[in-house]
Amino acid sequence: MIWETVRLSLLSVRRNVLRSFLTLLGIVIGVAAVIAMLTIGSGTTEKVKADISKLGSNLLVVRPGRPAGPGGPGGLDQATRPLGSKELAALVTHLSGARAISPASQKQVRVIFGTESLTSGVTGTDSAYLDARDWKLVSGRPFSDSEIRSGTGVCLIGETVRLQFFGAGDPEGEIIRVNRTSCRIIGLLEPKGYTGFGQDQDNVVLMPLAAYQRRIAGNRDIDSIYVAADDRTPTTELLPRVEDILRDTRRITPDRENDFSIRDMTQIADAMASATTTMTGMLGAVAGVSLLVGGIGIMNIMLVSVTERTREIGIRLAIGAHENHILIQFLVEATVLSLLGGIIGILIGLALAGLASLTLAIPFAPSPAVILLAVGFSALIGMVFGFFPALRGARLDPIDALRHE
Amino acid sequence: MSGSLLITFDKVWKSYGQGEATVHALAGVDLAIRHGEFVAIMGPSGSGKSTAMNIIGCLDTPTAGTYSFMGIDAGRLDRNRRAMLRNLYVGFVFQGYNLLPRTTAVENVELPLIYRGVAARERHDLAMKALAEVGLVGREHHTPAELSGGQQQRVAIARAIVTRPTLLVADEPTGNLDTARTHEIMELLTRLNTELGLTIAMVTHEADVAGYAERTIRFLDGHVASDAMNLEVV
Repeated sequence: MIWETVRLSLLSVRRNVLRSFLTLLGIVIGVAAVIAMLTIGSGTTEKVKADISKLGSNLLVVRPGRPAGPGGPGGLDQATRPLGSKELAALVTHLSGARAISPASQKQVRVIFGTESLTSGVTGTDSAYLDARDWKLVSGRPFSDSEIRSGTGVCLIGETVRLQFFGAGDPEGEIIRVNRTSCRIIGLLEPKGYTGFGQDQDNVVLMPLAAYQRRIAGNRDIDSIYVAADDRTPTTELLPRVEDILRDTRRITPDRENDFSIRDMTQIADAMASATTTMTGMLGAVAGVSLLVGGIGIMNIMLVSVTERTREIGIRLAIGAHENHILIQFLVEATVLSLLGGIIGILIGLALAGLASLTLAIPFAPSPAVILLAVGFSALIGMVFGFFPALRGARLDPIDALRHE
Repeated sequence: MSGSLLITFDKVWKSYGQGEATVHALAGVDLAIRHGEFVAIMGPSGSGKSTAMNIIGCLDTPTAGTYSFMGIDAGRLDRNRRAMLRNLYVGFVFQGYNLLPRTTAVENVELPLIYRGVAARERHDLAMKALAEVGLVGREHHTPAELSGGQQQRVAIARAIVTRPTLLVADEPTGNLDTARTHEIMELLTRLNTELGLTIAMVTHEADVAGYAERTIRFLDGHVASDAMNLEVV
């Protein structure tokens, strides 16, 4: 009986191909929009999470200056005291639960090799930096302790720098000029690609902190200290310990606020991810409105269909169809119609999302749950919006219906 | 089986409208039809014959009085129960054939069986058999548009008898047909009446068509004007 009805409704869809298609269009567009939005959205969320984890997982970043607000950038006011080797030493000596503690001072500097030049992010740091940031070397070696101590002119370069100066060639042992001082390349960093904010993470040059301070910055300041938590210590637990040590080292009395900020990259990652999720949800909801419009289209066409087939309904009622038979027939027809639209919409939506993931370089992340939801929702729309027309058909008086021309 | 009462009208009224504007399509009609009878119902338009037929076919209910069908007070049943009654005991043949368009003959004939919940295979067999009974072999898979008027009416008759009903209600079954086709259809109905013992109630306004029946009831102004046996079959 149900199968019969489904077959019947497919037949009626096929009889009015153009009309069925136009009716479906609303549902197709609605479902396609929802699927595309949610798929692209979850891809973006994944991308953001991956980007931020590239900054280092379980990482705290200490910077001088009062924190501007929760999660916000630390503002540098005039009274800011820079961080120095004193703070670094205190953390290295007293902090427990850290896997790596590393200083980093950074500046955009012109780097020259031969006749080529490139403006690159030059960072002065130590050998713990690679560990703290989860960066790896493709070739060469990290800084030695003596190079760190004496501030030798050696450096590690990122992939972008290598491509600019050496193409596919081996850069090791070559001498590049960084801000008028020369620097011997001892290793190549693993490529990391762009961040979600369009920043090239491979356009970097690392050198010993002492060398950076002496030859580039011209002071003994440390811009930031990276503290990576070990596997057993959550960053939320590590953060207050870092804070205590730094307040102590910097002799901040209990009545005064911190003159430094500690950023928890894990929390930022979570916040960013939840922000994109919220955004995705909102876009999905907007797309959902078009589904509603599609549903009204279905209702409209079903009313037309019921009116057109009044005589048929009369015949069916006369030969013994129950009200429910007619109701189910038109309900199934509306559901089949909108389900068809839903399936086409899902395919188009996934295609759009696939295209977007190719052009925007975000992962293609179709969610079976979302697809299932779209199928269910489009069927539901058919049932809800098909109900009133179907009921109207079922309630027809067989005598009037048979007389209908 | 012939002889016992199938249909009785007991002071049946059917009124439309309210107050001054009330129209009485049927005004206290008494009527009885027995199992196996072939009855022609005649009368000018507005005489109440169509209303009477609708009540006989359990499509409509009286405003007052009692309509009993097979001893059931059918006038008091709700829509769905009357639908069940129609599905089980009544077959319909209409002037305009009323076949589903773009649906093959055999599918049209299967339709009442679908609402009975008969399985597809059996449904098909029964429908093919009914089409053979009305002399329509070889046309089973044609749609109404591919059939002549006489053939369409045969399909409609097959659809009406496929459920082996007790009563066949025919509303001007030959109204759209030429003389030769009319003769064929009437022969078929007569044969079904005699061979299957099918009770037939048929509305017509043509005297020679009414002549095929055993009995003619004439309606006028909501009353039965005359009710007589046809002595000579034409």
